[in-house]
Amino acid sequence: MIAIEHLTKRYRKTVAVDDLDLVVQPGVVTGFLGPNGSGKSTTMRVIMGLDRPTRGRATINGRPYHDLRDPLREVGALLEAKAVNPGRSARNHLRALAASNKIPFSRVEEVLEFVGLASVATKRVGDFSLGMGQRLGIASALLGDPGILLFDEPVNGLDPEGIRWIRDLFRSLAAEGRTVFVSSHLMSEMAVTADQIIVIGKGRLITQGSVDDLTAAAKGSVVVRGSDRERLEIALRAAGATLEAGNDDALRVGGLTAEAVGRLAFDQGVVLFELTPERASLEEVYMALTAGAVEYGSGAS
Amino acid sequence: MSAHPTLASVIRSEWIKFRSVRSSIMGVAITFVLTIGIGALITASIRTHWTSHPEAHIGFDPVTTSLGGTLFAQFAVGVIGALFVTSEYSSGSIRATLAATPRRVEVAAAKLAVLVVSLLLVSEVAVFVTFLMGQAIYSGVVPTASLSNPTVLRAVLFGGLYLTLLGVVGMALGWLLRQSAACISVFTSVILVLPIVTFLLPSSWQNAIGRFEPSTLGQSMESVAPPAHAFSAGAALLVLTLYAAVLMVAAATALTRRDA
Repeated sequence: MIAIEHLTKRYRKTVAVDDLDLVVQPGVVTGFLGPNGSGKSTTMRVIMGLDRPTRGRATINGRPYHDLRDPLREVGALLEAKAVNPGRSARNHLRALAASNKIPFSRVEEVLEFVGLASVATKRVGDFSLGMGQRLGIASALLGDPGILLFDEPVNGLDPEGIRWIRDLFRSLAAEGRTVFVSSHLMSEMAVTADQIIVIGKGRLITQGSVDDLTAAAKGSVVVRGSDRERLEIALRAAGATLEAGNDDALRVGGLTAEAVGRLAFDQGVVLFELTPERASLEEVYMALTAGAVEYGSGAS
Repeated sequence: MSAHPTLASVIRSEWIKFRSVRSSIMGVAITFVLTIGIGALITASIRTHWTSHPEAHIGFDPVTTSLGGTLFAQFAVGVIGALFVTSEYSSGSIRATLAATPRRVEVAAAKLAVLVVSLLLVSEVAVFVTFLMGQAIYSGVVPTASLSNPTVLRAVLFGGLYLTLLGVVGMALGWLLRQSAACISVFTSVILVLPIVTFLLPSSWQNAIGRFEPSTLGQSMESVAPPAHAFSAGAALLVLTLYAAVLMVAAATALTRRDA
């Protein structure tokens, strides 16, 4: 379990994380979402004891990271792709990490095999593709067979086959009872990977809950198109619906179910050509939630 | 909860890192080539001109001259020390390192141990080889020195210590500055530019300040009789060790205080 209490991290004048409280539970994949610059990586670095919090604290199973003995056996992390000396081989990189935490070298061969890098174990990491670099990062996270895993933007650079592989990996790790904490700026990715979602923006918690909770909380709309648009409009307004103009003379109706809209049209004698209930996608929920919290608007990378 | 088994495993980890990159291997090779190669050039040149330049016979030191390659090798060891640290920052692997060993002082201590042992071995072999080779080149024409003379033995031995300590200075700069280019600039400035600046000062200042410069300390350590206004060999070793120690303490403090 990872717990973050009143965490604030300030870099000179910028506040990267602002009084954040969260708990990441074992046994599920927890997605950590937010636009670029929202404080996800900073939070992860604080959890890993790499950055010192300005206020508050982060703990691993109740203890600060700094107090862990042989921490790789408790926490594994992929924080940056290819954060390895480019001149070193994958095997030597993993062996150096293993040695520091008294992990046997046989485990290095196991994880190399597992991530599919066994055949290039002696190659210089500098010659690796971004995807291979990600796999090496995942291998180093798994090295100590830890109960807690953190992955910062793990999907970057992976091909579709790799993306599927990593999703399955997260699920199986969680199914084994491990804590799996995955950050991403893409809701679409998290929607298919995570069970629980934590959304932050500008370093503050925006919302958290299960994927289903989040979509359910978002109000859907109904697109309706009929023979007499004006008549329909008046009736819908009278019923308290919010209206938006849609394409092709259609109306986007908020606040009423498709059934209610259909009955209303029937009562008014309007022939319906279309009646489409639209459930907000998780992506839209996310965009709406983080709209005010985008650090860098379009134009910046 | 003894700290030693943990430190031993961190040292093992750092040793794997040190020997598994080309920059260390290249650095060691360059240290050998510069110490021995330049030593051979200097001694051969002295032998060639010996009879035609009697004025050079006054105050001639067969030990210092044969160790002349260390003037160049000192940059190689400085770079080895600096890169051992800065390569972790440039690649980003420092985060993996500190996540694996959150007690950061242990990381600094382990890297220091690996560097000192490696450089001590490399430097001492290099200086003894270049000394023996130099005396062999001098033999018959130029006066030679023998290791059976304790002062000569000390001068050669301290030559290796000088290189090792400069490697430590390079490493400390690596921790403090985190960037290879910055380290190499500062290191080169201290060794090369500082003596030039001092040379422009009034002579009383020169004598007072000059003896504290690393290059002057090196001269004291590597010669049979120290230059005028310089520290004795033993005092010079002490001063240089103090520099390295103070810088390493500053480095370890910076490492534990700053974000990775």
